[in-house]
Amino acid sequence: MRRIFLLGLPLVLGACEGRHNWLASGGAEAIRVEQLFWVLVVGAAVIWTLVIGAAVYAHRRQVDPSLEKQARQFIIWGGAVIPTVVVCALLVWGLVILRDITTKEGDLTVRVDGERWWWRVIYESPEGDVVTANEIRLPVDNTALFKLTADDVIHSFWVPALGGKMDMIPGRETELTLTPVETGSWGGLCAEFCGGAHALMRFDAIVMEEAAFNDWLAHEASPAEVAQDDAGLGVFLDEGCGACHTIRGTEAVGPVGPDLTHLASRERLGAGIYDMTPDNMAAWITDTHEMKPDIDMPPYPNLDGARLDQLVAFLMSLD
Amino acid sequence: MRYESDKQPGPYGPPGDAPRLIGQGSIWIMAAAPTIWAVHFVASYVLAAVWCAKIGASLVTPAWIIAAMGLVCAALIVWLGVIAVRRYGGVFVIFEEITESSERGRDRFIGHVSLLLCILSVVAIGFTVIPGLILGSC
Repeated sequence: MRRIFLLGLPLVLGACEGRHNWLASGGAEAIRVEQLFWVLVVGAAVIWTLVIGAAVYAHRRQVDPSLEKQARQFIIWGGAVIPTVVVCALLVWGLVILRDITTKEGDLTVRVDGERWWWRVIYESPEGDVVTANEIRLPVDNTALFKLTADDVIHSFWVPALGGKMDMIPGRETELTLTPVETGSWGGLCAEFCGGAHALMRFDAIVMEEAAFNDWLAHEASPAEVAQDDAGLGVFLDEGCGACHTIRGTEAVGPVGPDLTHLASRERLGAGIYDMTPDNMAAWITDTHEMKPDIDMPPYPNLDGARLDQLVAFLMSLD
Repeated sequence: MRYESDKQPGPYGPPGDAPRLIGQGSIWIMAAAPTIWAVHFVASYVLAAVWCAKIGASLVTPAWIIAAMGLVCAALIVWLGVIAVRRYGGVFVIFEEITESSERGRDRFIGHVSLLLCILSVVAIGFTVIPGLILGSC
């Protein structure tokens, strides 16, 4: 038993720190959920202590028939009336939190479409939609309204450090708001089992100062700065990558896979799972299914030497 | 306490009378309150699902309909609770065991269980009504 406890402890404590820490107070919505959590934990500890204390007291005390009436009243109040009132109060409190984190107006609107197994991200702006993927950047102290949907199976959108999670359902649009209160990089993930690479369906949620965010969004909206005679772009188009991927400013306009216009500006590759390095990029292209099983993108094992180098250099230049 | 089964110890009324569905020894009163809750729950679920799928994203109107249905159902259950007390002699807290093998003992037991189920069903209907009133959206 002790061994099981010791083995399990790192798993439990592992959730208490790092990028996915849901007690990090990184967002206004997360802080409200945390408050509910701590009240539940402390309340449960108090109730547990009282119940066990009463049981020990009752076990040690001699039976006194004259107190039976009081004992029954105690059971009725302590075992039925008070729990009913407490559960009702917690239900109302939880529902009010749920209402507040799902129906607020946003300072900006972000549409996220859950795909297998990556995230299509679209920022709504007055100048038009800004399409990106697998990384979400937010301005601090602003409320972002997320409009969530899914392509073919149910996913769930969750940035534990920033707020609550919400299912993404094909054919429906669900809403969630996040109001980050400090800058930093947090981890986001799919919280609903969605198939083979579910555990590798992640993203970075990067919270920036508002001015920096506006600069980033303006840059993200611009087309890629690519020379049309770039050798790497030639490889990209020759291999048919443009049938699935879009790089704005080039002939590649495929709508199936992630938009790659500013791919190298993202911190991670493969939907939040590998550092954005040339080596990882090369491995992603040649050993795709080793890097991330079950995904639709085919591997290109025969692409090597100069052509692979040109393609990797081209993709790493898309910042 | 005086209750009707004191006056009519048999399971049925005078010869020639049809037995009441609820009262005079019938056990249906125990199932009635949870059944009302279940009907309200299913009706609420179907109403909200159809409303959200066909009519709109706001749940305000169906939430009030669900609340009104809840009030009617709660009133019905309160009526059942009154019957459990008056016809069956049910009490909320039993201070001595019911061991008597008699019509009256069985009635008291059924009345007690029915009264508790009535209270539970009203609470459960409240749990169905509250989310709609607070959330207000599909």
